[in-house]
Amino acid sequence: MRHIALVIVTLALGTLSLRPGSAPAQQAPPAWKQGQSAEMATSPLSPHAQPPAPKAAGEIPVDKIKVPAGFKVSLWASGINNARVMTWGDKGTLFVSSRVAGNVYAIVDKGSTREVKTIAKGLNLPNGIAFRNGALYVAEIHRITRMDGIEDKLDSPPPMTVVYDTLPKDAPHGWKYLAFGPDGKLYFNIGAPCNICLPPDTHANISRINADGSGFEYWALGVRNSVGFDWHPVTKELYFVTHGRDWLGEDVPSDRLDHAPRKGLHFGFPYCHQGDIPDPEFSKGRSCVEFAAPLLKTGPHVAGNGVQFYTGSMFPGEYRNRMFLAQRGAWNRTQKTGFKVMMVTLRGNDVPKYETFAEGWLDGDRFWGRPVYTQQMKDGSLLISDDYAGAIFRVTYQR
Amino acid sequence: MAVTAGAPFAPAADVEAGRRKAGPCGACHGPTGTSSIPGVPSLAGQPATYLHWQLILDRDGRRRDAQMTALAAPLTDTDMADLAVWYASQTPVRPRPVALSAAEAQAGRALAEQYFCFACHGIALEGRDYAPRLSALQVDYLTSQLRRFKAGTRGDLDGAMTTATQPLTEATIVELARFIAGMPAP
Repeated sequence: MRHIALVIVTLALGTLSLRPGSAPAQQAPPAWKQGQSAEMATSPLSPHAQPPAPKAAGEIPVDKIKVPAGFKVSLWASGINNARVMTWGDKGTLFVSSRVAGNVYAIVDKGSTREVKTIAKGLNLPNGIAFRNGALYVAEIHRITRMDGIEDKLDSPPPMTVVYDTLPKDAPHGWKYLAFGPDGKLYFNIGAPCNICLPPDTHANISRINADGSGFEYWALGVRNSVGFDWHPVTKELYFVTHGRDWLGEDVPSDRLDHAPRKGLHFGFPYCHQGDIPDPEFSKGRSCVEFAAPLLKTGPHVAGNGVQFYTGSMFPGEYRNRMFLAQRGAWNRTQKTGFKVMMVTLRGNDVPKYETFAEGWLDGDRFWGRPVYTQQMKDGSLLISDDYAGAIFRVTYQR
Repeated sequence: MAVTAGAPFAPAADVEAGRRKAGPCGACHGPTGTSSIPGVPSLAGQPATYLHWQLILDRDGRRRDAQMTALAAPLTDTDMADLAVWYASQTPVRPRPVALSAAEAQAGRALAEQYFCFACHGIALEGRDYAPRLSALQVDYLTSQLRRFKAGTRGDLDGAMTTATQPLTEATIVELARFIAGMPAP
């Protein structure tokens, strides 16, 4: 035994001696590179760069988007740099967030045209937005703020009042999805600050607070990074998607759709991926059966963002209470997957159907846009935001 | 980089318009984007995506620099796209390399590997997409930018450089900047 211990110590020292002489402890690689095994070190895969400008309307090939028979897609708005989450104001303003562009927009629908106003800029990855009682709530990496009475002040927006600012400041997976639950609480993710690591207790969860910033609590644990969730229109229970870790392989792990009907469930990160793959490094002493299994494996590297139950009346009757999943597509796979809006049919906690609703952003291995979130319009049509083209599409159905 | 997918960015960008619009920028950045002022970056041959995003960060105050914020304020998206493609199309000129001893070069390379500089900036630090061409930048500028990233006053798009510079000591910043500005060809 002592001999084995000695060997381990020697090996450890051997490893150390390969490191540069005067250097301090090992520095973490950039988040996208972290967790890459030695045999993958020469992989040409790396994240897709976000364009600095939206595409001009004439450059957006909306006719390439394919939807089921009877549905039609049109370009609803363009010129919205990095358009992400969409949420409605009470008076009909569509608020749109961005991520790296640092902007929040307001779109005023003028019938045949749409006017886009930038109501906040220079923010810290303001992906999450939600609307309640006349105020727009904005989640940046490090804080959640509120703009009161915003719909009456689109041309001279009010100051951003801090709602909650004791949040981690880590940039990797630090951007948030934000939504009011049926309980009136504000839900958001605090992602793992890495590709794969044993995160601090404060990270890798979905959390909630009261609308005034009080009463912080963790709702779901072991969630690598969920940037999309919604509540079932009937059961009022939470469903969310999670991006799986990178550098484990082309086909594993699958991203997942999960169900968190009660507080405190653990969904496995970083010990277990997709419900049945123990992590090669972090699963020691743990077993996948300890954790909540995914409701659905949505596919490897699909990068699920938007989650939305359809409650409108424009689409055929069977679409009611189906879930739309907008999948932005990831970079950590040779053959790209995602770049689609998928549709999930639920029966209790079974998923009898998981099928494509809209596709065509991907052409072979090239893409011209990335569908990222959906939002229902009052008339039951469906908006799809595209953060790569900087545009919003509208899907309608004609009986 | 073979994996850069998707359609080209900013389809309307016009190199010739960029050349005309860049006139006033030349006072500090040099007539063709090669700066001779130590603290001012050279723009020639920097990736267009990087240059365009920097103008947005300047305009919005995420990259805190009173002078550049004021200069970028009146720029339209088209101006930024034009300027970015023009500077990107200019031939980068490497400043006179910092003279490094063999020991300094070896220790500097080890540091650059330890801090994963090559992972985003490329094996010759030639830059791509968001990541600037470090090999064309002067040591004073490199040093000041590393300090500002660490201080959180030089916004970067996704926080990668702010995160990466947190563990750097002042001595390491100087050593890294000197290595980058004196790096022998790989």
